[in-house]
Amino acid sequence: MLKTYKITISGQVQGVGFRPHVYSLAHKFNLKGNVSNNEEGVIIFISGAENTVYKFYKKLLQFPPPVSLIKESSIIEIDIRNFEDFKIIPSNKNRPLNLPLTPDFAICEDCKKEIETVDNRRYNYAFTTCVNCGPRWSITKTFPFERTHTSIDDFPMCDTCKNEYTNPNNRRFHSQTNTCSTCGINLILISSEGKKIKTSKEKIFQKIVQLLKEGNIIAIKNTSGYLLCCNAENESVIQKLRTTKNRPNKPFAVLFPSLAFLKNELDLNTNEVKSLTSKERPITIISSKNYYGKIALNKVSPGLNQLGVMLPYSGILQLLANQLNFPIIATSGNIHGSPIINENEDALDKLKNITDYFLQHNLKITHPQDDSVIKFSYKFQQEVLFRRSRGFAPNYLNVKINSTEKIMALGADLKSSIAFYPNQCLYVSQYIGNLENFDVYNRFISTINSFINIFEQEPNVILADKHPSYYSSRFGKEIAQKNNIKLLEIQHHKAHFTAILGEHNLWSEKVLGIVFDGTGYGDDSNIWGGEFFNYEKNTIERIHHLSYFDWLLGDKMSKEPRISLLSLASLEMHEILSEKFTKNELKTYQNLKKSNTLKTSSIGRLFDAVASLLNITDYNSYEGEAAILLENSIDSYKLNTCKSYLNSTESGISAREIIQNMFTDIKNGVSKEKCILNFLFTLADSILKIAKQTDYKHIAFSGGVFQNTTLVDLLLKLAPKEIKLYFHTDLPPNDENISFGQLMYYLNIK
Amino acid sequence: MDIENIGFETINLGHGSGGELTRNLLDKIIFKTFSNPFLDQKHDGSIVKIEGEIAISTDSFVITPIFFKGGNIGSLAVHGTVNDVAMCGAIPKYLSLAFIVEEGLKVSEFIKIVQSVKKAADESGVLIITGDTKVVERGKGDKIFINTTGFGAVHAKATISVNNIKEGDKILVNGFIAQHGMAIMSEREGLEFESTIESDSTNLNFLVTDLLDAFGDKIKLFRDPTRGGLGTVLHEIANDINKGIFIKEIYIPLEKQVAAACEMLGLDPMYVANEGVFLVIVDPSIEQEVLALMRNHKKGKNAALIGEFTNEHPNKVVMQSLIGGKRIVSPLVGEQLPRIC
Ligand SMILES: [Fe+3]
Ligand SMILES: [Mg+2]
Ligand SMILES: [Zn+2]
Ligand SMILES: [Zn+2]
Repeated sequence: MLKTYKITISGQVQGVGFRPHVYSLAHKFNLKGNVSNNEEGVIIFISGAENTVYKFYKKLLQFPPPVSLIKESSIIEIDIRNFEDFKIIPSNKNRPLNLPLTPDFAICEDCKKEIETVDNRRYNYAFTTCVNCGPRWSITKTFPFERTHTSIDDFPMCDTCKNEYTNPNNRRFHSQTNTCSTCGINLILISSEGKKIKTSKEKIFQKIVQLLKEGNIIAIKNTSGYLLCCNAENESVIQKLRTTKNRPNKPFAVLFPSLAFLKNELDLNTNEVKSLTSKERPITIISSKNYYGKIALNKVSPGLNQLGVMLPYSGILQLLANQLNFPIIATSGNIHGSPIINENEDALDKLKNITDYFLQHNLKITHPQDDSVIKFSYKFQQEVLFRRSRGFAPNYLNVKINSTEKIMALGADLKSSIAFYPNQCLYVSQYIGNLENFDVYNRFISTINSFINIFEQEPNVILADKHPSYYSSRFGKEIAQKNNIKLLEIQHHKAHFTAILGEHNLWSEKVLGIVFDGTGYGDDSNIWGGEFFNYEKNTIERIHHLSYFDWLLGDKMSKEPRISLLSLASLEMHEILSEKFTKNELKTYQNLKKSNTLKTSSIGRLFDAVASLLNITDYNSYEGEAAILLENSIDSYKLNTCKSYLNSTESGISAREIIQNMFTDIKNGVSKEKCILNFLFTLADSILKIAKQTDYKHIAFSGGVFQNTTLVDLLLKLAPKEIKLYFHTDLPPNDENISFGQLMYYLNIK
Repeated sequence: MDIENIGFETINLGHGSGGELTRNLLDKIIFKTFSNPFLDQKHDGSIVKIEGEIAISTDSFVITPIFFKGGNIGSLAVHGTVNDVAMCGAIPKYLSLAFIVEEGLKVSEFIKIVQSVKKAADESGVLIITGDTKVVERGKGDKIFINTTGFGAVHAKATISVNNIKEGDKILVNGFIAQHGMAIMSEREGLEFESTIESDSTNLNFLVTDLLDAFGDKIKLFRDPTRGGLGTVLHEIANDINKGIFIKEIYIPLEKQVAAACEMLGLDPMYVANEGVFLVIVDPSIEQEVLALMRNHKKGKNAALIGEFTNEHPNKVVMQSLIGGKRIVSPLVGEQLPRIC
């Protein structure tokens, strides 16, 4: 007997070929009806025999399109309807959007094959995409994901493309980003003076590779923003890029031509391969200890035994890679501290002194994104996201929220991100950058406006950090006042803690929270950063912290690890200090210390002090440099030889005692590596001791310090079975998680 | 001027009691120093004649240390108030002067301060016409506090108001910034440099008068960025009129030694106090002439054009920084708290 059903599917189901997939599946089952997108997801009306429909439904849920993510689905029987056939009907939108957005996807194998096949009509066409791949969020103007709602709409389809689009048997049936070289996007190569370089369409990538080989820097407009590229085997051009980009030491990511090429030069484990070839295709940080290739390692990632690598993820990068026989630097196209550039004019203006050539195209990028960065811990393969951007943004699916309020969380300042809850879905923006830079600030504002426009919802609650001088908090105050809406300022480290509680849905447990980072404005007006919290029944309490020491010299302290050492040093360390400071500096700073009132519990600064004490570095040229160098000084270790630098944790962790005991070790000739290990062991050991004192079963970790994967491994190793540890995996442990944490705090903490 | 031996070395509570001792202190130090027809009336107050609109400004001065390179609390108390009156587009003429002295201050120091007040007042062309002296118990003050109030007639050609500012108007500054604050810091923290950093504390009223004589209503605003520094004041102006300000760091006059001191102490010179610096906001048509006039005046030798008003980013001060990139100059909140990780 014929029955009719309504199937609703929500999740990441638009712009992923869901409707065409349903279409062909319905045909296979010989079912009639229709499928459409609406503001909630995908709606299917279908008529047929009961068990056929259920088989169809089961199959659909079991084998959805490769890049889709189903969050919820339902099937209900409705009044019988007779359909002539099965149809895809155009999007229909009556209410504001209420479904996940679609992130960018790396180029799929099918498309890759096409652009590499000489007699294919998409041979060498850099913007080849299909329902399974290509840019999405990068080109989204509004939603649902339809061609007319993206910047691809500037390129009307030619007849051949239109045929593909309307043919149910074609892979590009209803592929919204469908274009070809006839109707699509154009690439041009120009010099830094704006002069067009003559090359045929087919030879353009050959030409670029030749230019790279000759030692040129090329700014390449990719589908998510500009990249600056140069030969990674050429020391002098990398140095040139460092100088002009004003980036002395911060490691660059390297794009390898292929996985095979990469495997030839470096050892990869299965997790790393999986990540490098995933649809998000992030930069993956791997150990470079056994490097066999010719990359100028010491210029690419100075002083480090790790390397950020990636594989081509767009048609442009794939076609370039196909001509390459050497790895290239591929770093965000910007000047130090500015946001990634996405507009041609802006690129010409700002990058002309950095780059020798530009590869440009005329597809508008509406949501520029940096490449995401990921690392796996060495021992336990714990996944740590360092930067959440292209491929991951802007959905956050792994949380259930029930609130009628429309909440906008503004995050922190240095690694800015925005979280927005306008409907029943949560969105967390890509990494935006340091708001001190005005162009980054403007991007922060445009990201907020873009969220408001797409969802057609103004926030009625604004959440911001408690720091009185954060640009984001200042902005929060401004708009809250202007629109007369609720503003809540949330303490930085509490937001970190609620971020990790939220990520693992720990609201019904009693949890010890460990939040270690660089700086955050504390409830007592001091600078926090080594915090122990208790979570229980929707309340958070600060139960311990790294013992306070002097915060000196404003932001300068974060840039110069030697100042942290000075702050923590005992009289005995005078000799060491006098090598790091001029007499005048030392006298002045010691004077300042006497009258100073601002205190800190920052673990970041403790790492700095250790790095300085061990003569690893006295200056940070990029954020967290000292800590990264520290971690890199460890080769391998035996746990049973580690000892703690603290006698007791009864009264918290004493930073001074740690430094003093390490100093004694150094005097006794203990090796640098050993000292660092003891230090990390001290942190891990004290955390676990504090947990045992109060019999915690759950410990949750957040804050930038937990990008230190050696510390993560140590904790996992040392924790007794009965204690469960929770680390961030969906979000970075650094300040990129603050916006999400603020939202979680608002919704869950009394 | 010599002050004869007054028979005691430190000031004590008795000197503020209003009796014999007070009289002694006032006669031998204050009146002798400032003697003029108004003050010599020794009345409860002074009766003066000022015609037309007058500008009045008051300020209290508390500073540690009270003596510093380039001045002391006495000269500062005169310059601060004289300049505030001048910033209203007025010509300062009279000053009131009130001391609150902490018991134990050395008489010799007190005399030195009083004499500095006198010298600064003379140089600024103002008369001290009324005053007061109180002594407080040890621990209830910090050596000495001074309050001054200034009076002066508004310049005939002045139409000073933030509301006259339009998009494109130029912002000029008369000289090196951050000198005063860094001089005080160096003194307090015992900083040593090749040459000493001196406070820029000085009177600006004559340069202001010259500017008004020459340009009248083409001058929109004067403002002295004292506490909170240039950054805070620019932010205030932008907010008052809902306009944006764009400045270039490279144009901001900053003396090398001061820049080095700021860098050493982790301070942003944009937020360091000034006492001899003022901003003048002018119509773009006269920017070069204003600059020339200022540079020819001894209080404006290092004058510079630092930026302009724009409608592009209302309420925000944006600075093109030396290392490339732009940043927002926000007002100082309390102390300079660390913001970076
Ligand atoms: Fe943080
Ligand atoms: Mg005043
Ligand atoms: Zn594809
Ligand atoms: Zn086409």
